[in-house]
Amino acid sequence: MRLKAKILPWLFLFPALFIYLMVIVVPSLYSLVLSFFDWNGVSPDKKFVGLGNYIYLLTEDNVFQTALKNNLIWLVGSMTILIGLGLAFALILNRQLKGRVFFRSVFYYPYVLSGIVVAIVWSWMYHPTKGFITFFIEKIGLEKWATPWLSDPKTALYAVFIAAVWQGVGLPMVLFLAGLQSIPKEPYEAAVIDGAKPFQTFRYITLPLLRDTFVIVFATTMVGAMKVYDIIYGMTGGGPMNSTQVLSSWMYYQTFKYNFIGIGSAISWYLIFICLIVIVPYVIFISKRSHY
Amino acid sequence: MSASLKRKLSNVLVYLVLFLLSVIFIMPVIFVVFTALKSNADLSANTFYSFPKELVWSNFAEAWNRIKHYMGNSLLISIVKVPLGILVNALAAFALTRLNFKWATGMFIFILIGMMVPMQATLVPLNMMLNAVNLNNTFPGIIFVYLGFGIPFGILVLRGFMLAIPRDLDEAAVIDGCNELDKFFRIIVPIAMPAIATLFILDFLATWNEFLLAQIFITKESMQPITAGLLSFQGQHSTNYTLLNAGVLISILPVMVVYVFFQKYLISGMVGAVKG
Repeated sequence: MRLKAKILPWLFLFPALFIYLMVIVVPSLYSLVLSFFDWNGVSPDKKFVGLGNYIYLLTEDNVFQTALKNNLIWLVGSMTILIGLGLAFALILNRQLKGRVFFRSVFYYPYVLSGIVVAIVWSWMYHPTKGFITFFIEKIGLEKWATPWLSDPKTALYAVFIAAVWQGVGLPMVLFLAGLQSIPKEPYEAAVIDGAKPFQTFRYITLPLLRDTFVIVFATTMVGAMKVYDIIYGMTGGGPMNSTQVLSSWMYYQTFKYNFIGIGSAISWYLIFICLIVIVPYVIFISKRSHY
Repeated sequence: MSASLKRKLSNVLVYLVLFLLSVIFIMPVIFVVFTALKSNADLSANTFYSFPKELVWSNFAEAWNRIKHYMGNSLLISIVKVPLGILVNALAAFALTRLNFKWATGMFIFILIGMMVPMQATLVPLNMMLNAVNLNNTFPGIIFVYLGFGIPFGILVLRGFMLAIPRDLDEAAVIDGCNELDKFFRIIVPIAMPAIATLFILDFLATWNEFLLAQIFITKESMQPITAGLLSFQGQHSTNYTLLNAGVLISILPVMVVYVFFQKYLISGMVGAVKG
């Protein structure tokens, strides 16, 4: 009977644990092994190169450096613009407004579209001669800005980022709205009595009480920024001239287009390291708060 | 200026901002609708954002004919994957919350770590494994992989919900002579239905929208799901924008239907999930 009680949880856990081990744990550890080899994926001779692939990427692979830089730009952009807009939308919609639900739906719906669909939709927007954005920019008198945004290496990444903001702003907005709605009314009433200005109320009551929400929004946004792939692959394929490559897409090219398995695996492990640094505090946070 | 006038003005301003933002958010999809309804001649003579000269509804029929097999593939994959994933995750969440499992917290953290592993890190070994068992370019293969990547999130959601179910119910069930499997199917699963419904919707959307894994593990065109299929479509008919746009609209129809009808679950679920 006691033995049965000991085995039982493992029986219930088994299907999930087995699939999890086979799909995520074992493959990602094996790719760590592969990252120490020079291998094309088919030839029988794998050459052990130690940290060679990692050093090569950092010192000699210019595209890897571009990709790393682009991920950082994406990360900073997401942490400021995406989260800032999400918070702003949430603050506006947290007021007593008619049509709140409608506006919330309108700002959130792009989030349920796939990255590929968003990429296709926004490629029309950016079309150099027929797209709406070119038209709009010329209309407001900024002709010199009317470059073919997606095919200019200087602007392509930012153009894709704008599409990503359009797609993604709904998530932080919804999370902030939930956070705002869980704040009790009393502190605000007290603040009114004390004669606090709206900004002071925001700075000293709203922001501190949104702390939990911020942790969650920061963590999901950071990991999302590090993993970004679909929308970039769909809109630019990493081009023009590799100017929009990010770690995920460059990993895909190195591995599946050029068959540099070792190098591709090393890129993916750089990605893991960065994600680890970003998300470990989040996991600690979640596991702490679910002990009750 | 009186206080109430001031408030009215600020309300007008807020509505103006909201209205402009709504236009920005809806516009890109409106242009897709315009393009989908144009004739090719109309499209090549005019811009993407002009209203169609005449409405060519037949574009939808033609686009449907070209993408229906992708839609079928996505539907088949989702219909098998989503319920199966929920069953597997619910069983695990049950073990982690209701069976006095010594390793519960450790196992939960071990599984949660999977959320931060980027899919890219698993692709090559997974490809080798699937090849070794002849599951590349098969639905069971891609479903198995999807199940794996759904596990950390699924367990996070269901475990959170199950933790909040009172323990008294378990004791009552034991007195009534239920074994653990009865307890799972007759008590916990019915109570956890709201969480399961939410997960069902989120997982359906995630599966329908997935691209990277489909791109790697389903290379045979006839078996591609809709995301990869749309890119193939774009590649093959790169000049036929009207049909591609009609195809995009058809492909987002299921997602939009789910969104409109289950919005409440979707949003509360997203919030509940990340709040743990």
